[in-house]
Amino acid sequence: MLSVVGVLFIFSAGTYWSQVHYEGDTPFYIRQSIYLVIALIVFFTVIKMSLFTEEKTWITLYIISLILLVLVLVPGIGLSRNGSQSWIGLGPLTMQPAELVKITTLMYLSFLLSKVRNSERVVQVKHFLILIIPCALIMLQPDFGSVFILIVSAFMLFFVARYPVKLYVGIIALGVVGLAALIMSAPYRLQRIFAFIDPWGDPLGAGFQGVQSMLAIGPAGLLGHGFGDSRQKFLYLPEPQNDFIFSIILEEIGFFGGCVVLLLFGLFIYSGVGLAMQATQSSHFYAVVSLVSMIGFQACLNIGVVIGLIPVTGVTLPFISYGGTSLMIIWFIVAIVISFSNRVETKS
Amino acid sequence: MKWISSVSKKRLRLIVYAFMIFGLAVVIRLFYVQVLKHDELTELAKENWDREVPFASERGEITDRNGEIIVTNKLSPTLYFMPAQNDNIEEAARQIASVLNLDEKKLFEKMNKRAYLVKLAPEAKNISYEQAVQIQGLKIDGLYSGVDYVRHYPYGTLLSRFLGFTGYDTQGLAGIEYQYDKLLTSKSAAIRLFTDAAGNALPHVDDEWRDGEQGATVELTIDLEVQQVVERELSQAMEKYDADQALAIAMNPKTGEILGLASFPTYDPSNFTEVDQSIYNRNLPVWMTYEPGSTFKIITLSAALEEGVVNLEKDRFYDPGYTMVEGARLRCWKREGHKDETFLQVVENSCNPGFIELGQRVGPDKLMDYIHNFGFGEATGSNIPGEAKGILFSKERFGPVEHATTSFGQGISVTPIQQITAVAAAVNGGKLFTPYVVSKIVDSETGKVIHENTPQLKQQVISEDTSAQVRNALESVVANGSGRQAFRDGLRIGGKTGTAQKVQDGHYMDGNYIVSFIGFAPADDPEIIVYVAVDNPKSATVFGSTIAAPIVGQIIEDIAPTIGLAVDREGQLEKQYRWGDPITDRVPNLVGLKVDEIKKLQYPYRIEIHGEGELVVSQLPEPENILEVDDTIHLYLGNDSNKAKNNTNSGEDSNTEQNTN
Repeated sequence: MLSVVGVLFIFSAGTYWSQVHYEGDTPFYIRQSIYLVIALIVFFTVIKMSLFTEEKTWITLYIISLILLVLVLVPGIGLSRNGSQSWIGLGPLTMQPAELVKITTLMYLSFLLSKVRNSERVVQVKHFLILIIPCALIMLQPDFGSVFILIVSAFMLFFVARYPVKLYVGIIALGVVGLAALIMSAPYRLQRIFAFIDPWGDPLGAGFQGVQSMLAIGPAGLLGHGFGDSRQKFLYLPEPQNDFIFSIILEEIGFFGGCVVLLLFGLFIYSGVGLAMQATQSSHFYAVVSLVSMIGFQACLNIGVVIGLIPVTGVTLPFISYGGTSLMIIWFIVAIVISFSNRVETKS
Repeated sequence: MKWISSVSKKRLRLIVYAFMIFGLAVVIRLFYVQVLKHDELTELAKENWDREVPFASERGEITDRNGEIIVTNKLSPTLYFMPAQNDNIEEAARQIASVLNLDEKKLFEKMNKRAYLVKLAPEAKNISYEQAVQIQGLKIDGLYSGVDYVRHYPYGTLLSRFLGFTGYDTQGLAGIEYQYDKLLTSKSAAIRLFTDAAGNALPHVDDEWRDGEQGATVELTIDLEVQQVVERELSQAMEKYDADQALAIAMNPKTGEILGLASFPTYDPSNFTEVDQSIYNRNLPVWMTYEPGSTFKIITLSAALEEGVVNLEKDRFYDPGYTMVEGARLRCWKREGHKDETFLQVVENSCNPGFIELGQRVGPDKLMDYIHNFGFGEATGSNIPGEAKGILFSKERFGPVEHATTSFGQGISVTPIQQITAVAAAVNGGKLFTPYVVSKIVDSETGKVIHENTPQLKQQVISEDTSAQVRNALESVVANGSGRQAFRDGLRIGGKTGTAQKVQDGHYMDGNYIVSFIGFAPADDPEIIVYVAVDNPKSATVFGSTIAAPIVGQIIEDIAPTIGLAVDREGQLEKQYRWGDPITDRVPNLVGLKVDEIKKLQYPYRIEIHGEGELVVSQLPEPENILEVDDTIHLYLGNDSNKAKNNTNSGEDSNTEQNTN
């Protein structure tokens, strides 16, 4: 359902952007439709396979994804877009290993956590190692958004896996320090923070995206301008088919439409948690929880940015934003989640 | 499900709650942005998208009370430029500058701004048609010629110091143009250009037309014909007496409507930069404050009559030429004094000691109350921009000397508009009105009245009875006293002169006077009141009676037909003969008489006879006009006795004529 919304709005939002920047290419909405079909094929294939419920598979995939992350940094193999070397080109197709590594890391961690006996210490160094290696690799691209999502999702997983609360206090402190360090290392991040605090202070510079997003959302009112009638998509907003697609959605279908989209995400999280509760093994429970919360968190992050609650970070909106890799990964995740719960049915 | 610990479940629930809270926050934020801040953001967004070449709508017109247009608009092509659409701005600036004869560098600076749309004004506003065509021919990228208007003044300098002017964006900068700017301002129509954020035209999207709105029409109470007469008279006086400044107000005393409002020197509002700002920023009738001089005596007179402390005809006064007040010798303007006179003569002669006596009879506190009640010391509420308040003595400083000088109009300062409003009240039956000059504001598209001003009665200052006495006294000032030069036969003008020395830095300026006259007509039921003041006229005799009075007389005479004044008002006081005045008499009715009969009557006029016949059928001038001795009466002869009779008996005129023909 969300993906259909996504295709529709990519049709609307992405048309002009693609005309300007990728003249002659297939329009976004057609590509996204094709991606969606492929993603759905992936989805139905994965559901039928028991392969992805096994721990071994995930260890392998984790390693593969790490290799890909390394490859992405190799000039000639990795492609650079918008200042980040995040893509691997395979002929006409490109993919983002970071999208994959987020899942494999979380899955691997889920299986590890499920093995922890009640008597054992929950906190283990290897958990952190498994998390930090991909993070470090992604930072080299750099792709701060993905790292952030991965870390937060992992910590949500640890939290559910009974990590002591005391640790979290420490982690939050550490997080603040880490954030500060990140900001220090790249001045554009500091500008984004300032832009967030006062976007109107520099509406043509650092505050541009935030301001333009507000200008898209505000005038839309309760009902919006109507489908296809966005004005801000004409290059006023950067990547209207991608990071700022929710702006365009809000602009075209207004407050009520935005609420519907929010509700769909709520429904997704709700049913995800419902499926987690039905899991027959703690490893599946953890896996479902971590994947659902990752998607949920990513959605929050994107929406938060669009509506000005969170400083600008380049994060896509799951299901809806344009992008083959991310769309396939999302449906891959959904397939895994469902296949885990299918286990329940077959077993019980 | 023992493999999931209860702690895990609890924590999972916490995470779900966190998501829900976030979702709620999003909804609240959306509501805030999309509903509460909707309007504000819409405004900002419009600015953000604004890629319109304005196609100006007309600014509202300013008309007189009869809808005659005083200020309107004229088309003027104007250039607009979108910097983003041109790669070689320097070259573009060079080309435009060469066609329009402009400074290339300055134009380039203007065109090279980081803006979406630059209006090339004032340099490239109101360019000629040929220039526009020539520039269009250059096909400069990003250059558009839009339609704009400039203000047009069909009557040139008329009323200019009241009207004010507009800047190159047709925004009101002074006067009524500034005061009513919001209502006069139109909303431009525009050609909407759909562009992306970079300013490039969007493919496959047609330009759109957006309708504008015309500005509202401001209708003044001014009567164009009255205004023209007033300004003509003032400009003649300016020239004749080489005066520094002159001003005039004409008002309907029964309503407070201002029919004419003039300040000299004037200026051309379309070239306001050519004159000093003291000219266009000062609307003299409301801005100027000065000693009113004798015109102020009307206030003292009104107070004395209302208080019943004088009988004008019976009470007598002896003027030795001065009065002593607390050791100070206050002189009459006539050095030898007016000697023995009635108080009516005190008024006619404008005798200072006589008015000091009247002021003393009223008493200082009461006199001050009357002055305040007549509206002095505060703005009249005319709502004309730049109105001053004038200066009165404070209660503590109002000693006997101040009291005495105030009685004959010295030591205080008032504005012309206060003066005319107060005198209007003194002669209209005692009603003080708020003067006003804007009659209504009309939506120029729908014709709907947006705002209308009606006469505002402030208060009853003196009784109708007292007012009648004041009118009589002032009519006799014109018929017999210092206002004689304002006399016009049959109009029954009443009035009062004023001559006041100007004050600079607290000292009287030597030989520098403001002479004034305030006149109204007809004296038994005033329909019009006119105030004229001339600042520093150069003439052998500088008195209000010799300079200002004839102007007011002329103005009232000339506007009488416009405002519907009867020219043969009954019951007028005949002008008293004084040595040097031409001897005049009324023209006798000679129509219907035979030539030899007329010769026997021995009139002191020359009589010229035209035509053949026995009877006089018509004559020039007509009967009852005033004629100087030795002037000529022309008689036209004929044989038609009927016609001759008809003329003498005009009431039956039409009937007889129908019968005979």
